[in-house]
Amino acid sequence: MTTTRREFLKNIGTVTMGAVTAAATGPLQAATPDGFPPKRGGDPRHRWAMVVDMRRCIACQACTVSCSVENQAPLHQFRTIVSQYQVKDLDRPEQPVALVDLPRLCNHCDSPPCIMACPVRPQRATYQQKDGIVLVNNEMCLGCGACAYACPYGARFVNSETHTADKCTLCVHRIKAGLLPACVESCVGGARVFGDLRDPKSEVRKLLARYKVKVLQPEKHTRPNVYYIGMDVKFEHNTDRINKRG
Amino acid sequence: MSSKRREFLKGIAAAGGLAALPGLAHSADGVTVLPGTRGKKTRDPVTGNAPGPEFVIDLKSGKLTPNPNQQVSFTMCLGCYTMCGVRVRTEKASGRVLRVAGNPYHPLSADPHLPYETPLAAAFTSLTRYGESGLSGRSTACGRGNAMLEQVTSPYRVLTPLKRVGPRNAGKWVPISFEQLLEEVVEGGNLFGEGHVDGLRAIHDLKTPLDPANPEYGPKANQLAVFNAVGDGRDGIIKRFTFDAFGTRNYGAHGSYCGLAMRVGSGAVMGDFAKNAHGKPDFSNCEFAIFIGSSPGNSGNPFKRQGRLVATARTAGKLEYVVIDPTLNNSSNAAVADRDRWIPITPGSDGAFAMAMIRWIIENQRYDAKFLSQPGPKAAEAAGEANWCNATHLVVVQEGHPQEGHFLRAADIGLAPAKDAAEALYVVIDGATGKPRSHLEPAAAALFYDGAVDTPNGPVKVKTSLQLLKEQAFRHTLDEYSGACGIPLETIQRLAREFTSHGKKAAVDAHGGMMASNGFYNAFAVLTLNTLIGNYNWKGGMSPGGGTFPSVAAGPRYNLVDFPGKVKPQGVFLCRSRFPYEKTSEFNRRKAAGENPYPAKAPWYPFSPPLLTEYFTSHFNGYPYKLKAIVSFMANPIYGHAGLKRAIHDKLKDPRELPLFVAVDAFINETSAYADYIVPDSVMYESWGWAKPWNGYLTKASTARWPVIEPAQAKTADGQSITMELFLIEVAKKLKLPGFGANAIAAADGSLHPLDRPEDFYLRAAANVAFAGKPVPDANDEEVALAGVTRIMPDVRKVLKPEEVRKVAYVYSRGGRFENASDAYQGERLKNGYKKPLCIYNETVGTARNSMTGRRYSGTASYMPTVFADGTPVEKVYPKSEWPFLLTPFKSSLQNSFSIGALRLRQVRPDNPVGINSADAARIGIHSGDKVRITTPGGSLVAVAQVLDGIAPGAVSIEHGYGHTELGARAHDIGGQPQPASGNGVGVNLNDLGLSDPRREGLSTLGDWAIGSAVRTALPARVEKV
Repeated sequence: MTTTRREFLKNIGTVTMGAVTAAATGPLQAATPDGFPPKRGGDPRHRWAMVVDMRRCIACQACTVSCSVENQAPLHQFRTIVSQYQVKDLDRPEQPVALVDLPRLCNHCDSPPCIMACPVRPQRATYQQKDGIVLVNNEMCLGCGACAYACPYGARFVNSETHTADKCTLCVHRIKAGLLPACVESCVGGARVFGDLRDPKSEVRKLLARYKVKVLQPEKHTRPNVYYIGMDVKFEHNTDRINKRG
Repeated sequence: MSSKRREFLKGIAAAGGLAALPGLAHSADGVTVLPGTRGKKTRDPVTGNAPGPEFVIDLKSGKLTPNPNQQVSFTMCLGCYTMCGVRVRTEKASGRVLRVAGNPYHPLSADPHLPYETPLAAAFTSLTRYGESGLSGRSTACGRGNAMLEQVTSPYRVLTPLKRVGPRNAGKWVPISFEQLLEEVVEGGNLFGEGHVDGLRAIHDLKTPLDPANPEYGPKANQLAVFNAVGDGRDGIIKRFTFDAFGTRNYGAHGSYCGLAMRVGSGAVMGDFAKNAHGKPDFSNCEFAIFIGSSPGNSGNPFKRQGRLVATARTAGKLEYVVIDPTLNNSSNAAVADRDRWIPITPGSDGAFAMAMIRWIIENQRYDAKFLSQPGPKAAEAAGEANWCNATHLVVVQEGHPQEGHFLRAADIGLAPAKDAAEALYVVIDGATGKPRSHLEPAAAALFYDGAVDTPNGPVKVKTSLQLLKEQAFRHTLDEYSGACGIPLETIQRLAREFTSHGKKAAVDAHGGMMASNGFYNAFAVLTLNTLIGNYNWKGGMSPGGGTFPSVAAGPRYNLVDFPGKVKPQGVFLCRSRFPYEKTSEFNRRKAAGENPYPAKAPWYPFSPPLLTEYFTSHFNGYPYKLKAIVSFMANPIYGHAGLKRAIHDKLKDPRELPLFVAVDAFINETSAYADYIVPDSVMYESWGWAKPWNGYLTKASTARWPVIEPAQAKTADGQSITMELFLIEVAKKLKLPGFGANAIAAADGSLHPLDRPEDFYLRAAANVAFAGKPVPDANDEEVALAGVTRIMPDVRKVLKPEEVRKVAYVYSRGGRFENASDAYQGERLKNGYKKPLCIYNETVGTARNSMTGRRYSGTASYMPTVFADGTPVEKVYPKSEWPFLLTPFKSSLQNSFSIGALRLRQVRPDNPVGINSADAARIGIHSGDKVRITTPGGSLVAVAQVLDGIAPGAVSIEHGYGHTELGARAHDIGGQPQPASGNGVGVNLNDLGLSDPRREGLSTLGDWAIGSAVRTALPARVEKV
């Protein structure tokens, strides 16, 4: 791994896209999955999600920086990034390498392992709202880092200023005001589409109906709610983390 | 994170989680851990330190309620020189900028941008979740545009006038008053205890020739040179001072070390060396594009708009494209691999590729014969073409003929009166009769002709422009071209076929990646491809840009360019531009003495604009003459111009070599670090200006740059912020120069108005914009308040006439004035098209001579290898056996030349490791992360290697924007206070590896052979593991 955020993997073969699809309509139920603590807060009439159209991403990192400015996370700790990879198609070795731009953020999973890892009781410091947003209350958080460790996406970190768990909130403060998350507002290519899975007329529902989308690490059964258009099947199982462990 | 915490974390992992521990407190490692933040408390336990939202929108009614503690205003970004319209969100109480995004009215930030008549509240609503309008209506700032608000509060800002203490470039300064600054700069004296220094008053002499032996050099006033970084909406007043008031000839901007090779190459194609017009594809309707030395989505101008357009066009539109570049960059996206391809090319060989394309297209007659054969405006109109070109015009090719290289004129063959000999009445061979006739007749003409035409003085040998291009293209075989550029022959043929298979909905685009020593001819060749398919002014073809509304102009309300006593500068530019060597006294003296007048002492550049690349070395060499003072604005050639620092460092730090250097800059950059004085300035959202997009947009746009926050730097005794503008105004008034002070600006009604403050200038420019064509509506009080224009209303009322006030407020409330996106096309044509004809043969180029060889330049595109000033190939002096690599720089998608201090940006890519091709790296035993020494004939540096497949073999790729030695990288001492230390010096700067020209005398940097632009591409290099 290089020392920069621009992480390059090489010689990842490519195969036909769209061969595997995520359960695009899976998360529409509102019930709490078995064994998960009850959801709290949020409006159960909504289920917020993001569809990322990777074909439109230009890796300008406007999302990364606008999130950093809006949410004032400490420097070098990221709630969202765009990872980049140089890939070579081993089936078509005559073709030159190409770039994969992979926008990353918390998947706001339907079965969020981070919440299960939180040791705080009776109410957990990290929790899911009824609208699906996974949040942390830093006044309840121990800063133990168990949730950050449990997240297979590395979407969490222990904030170096507060010493508590930190992560993407989907800009819940902006959503509540009727605005868009900072990263979506600033997405130059128009790759990030945010919306309500419970609204059948929403743009995210239209995209999910039209495209075969994928999610990251479906084999972890976290049931993510960040869906990717144009993601190669090999990237589904990409275990790179947004923030490194420890 | 402390090591203690890290261990704790590991402990958890080992224990498999702490779920069994009791809820509120527990102990581990002997430390009692309590819930809740033990660090800094945040504003909110869930949303941390995010500020409150700027608006609340009722999603049922769409009613927008602004946050009373915040303000959102539309002004201009200067995160790079794309100059996008942005919305700046500030906290009212503190004036702190909270975040920046795009202006939805602005074509560089939204696509399509909102209709101009949209009410302001509706514009804000369009950005929200109301009806999900904010998704398609999003108006963005790029990564850098999001981060550059840090400039405002940077600890490295110059906040007061500074005067150097001790030697130049020692990094020691003392704050002085504005009054002292003005007095010393204008009056001169023994300013530093080093002897007398002439002030600007002594230099301001418009009568005495600076060199009586060479009267064409002009008056002594030319011994002041004024350097500007770039036209950023504030250059109007700088040019007014420099040319029109002080009267020096010597003004230079950054173009010559930015993308000038492309610009002058385009100027040759577009027949416009005055402005070096250039085009961009109409991305939205283009079907096939070739980007070469250009990378939409990665860089270029406009960076963000091109990124948005290419993302949409390759996803929802019809666009397929290739990016031909030594480095794989963000233009490529594997998710649309069927739409875009990267094609690696050997650095500096773009011309070989383009001439191969031209040869194949001519051989296979794949050019647009209908377009090319229309010789003039009437023929083009009759044929339904949207423009025309000179492919059929006859060029005199008879050796030694007085008209050699010129177009044959109608008067030359008796088709027009002799008095019209110089008129633009050209001769073509009629397509039907085969007889010579005027280009103005409405019929097609012969494309190829090689023969003689009868004139009253006998027959003259002529060829058509296209014939000359064909001969240039056929000088080499396709295999030879393929070998030179490293692109397989089949690929070239496939691209040529594809390029000529879409009618006018195809385009070739070049930009700043052409800066090799053969860059001009490379760009000329690449851009000639567009002419061959006749794609200008068509939907899906090439656009010259959308144009602008008059601002700093002889506008409908005020004349901001003409004034009584306006000076017309005289004489030769110090950089020897726009002046043929053959017209100099020196040439005539040498010729009269029976000498061969060639080579000149240094290259002259007959068709180049003023070249900042040649000013410094020309001055220190004293050829053609020497300066006495330099005033520069934000310019940073020492960082940005390859090879300059090494060439002039010793001279520039010696005040005897350059007596006075005043820099106006909000930061101490690599160049202003050598200054004698630094004048503070406003930055970003604190400043005034009127900008326009460079290109890549289809509808008229004028961007209002206005202070939405209070400038942070010092104020004068009467409360004015010290800025570049105020400095120039006060200097001009002290020198009693025309065009400044009382009665300097004339209104359309004849009344005269003062130019005492920046507002006097920019608000009147705003009135011009507001009243251009059909005047804009009046703003109401509600919109003035909602847009935060209230802040500047006292000045608007004070400066402008009552009938102008509300219209100007309307313009500022929307961040400028913008033609509606619906006006982009008229049927299949672009509404704002290019009016001049295109050139297959450029007469200015074809009649000019290279001052080092005395030989005429090729008037058409032509292939040449990389060369030195006398035409010697670079490889002859620095052979491949000793210098096996070629450096290829690329523009960062994140950093510009002055953004390194923005920490929220730098965290994304904290360094710029250099890219080396995998096979090359394997051969010399280099792995990613290794330290490598890169050496060119001009310098050496150590960098971290990144081994990649996405680099052309033999190329070493370096990202711009890093490797600073100033802008905080060095802590200066300001009045005894050291600046804080920083990590701003991270990475390497390719320009530190730039070359001097071993075939030139005196100090030099390697320049383009024809036009003198800086050379940073295809520098010969060695790479060794350290």
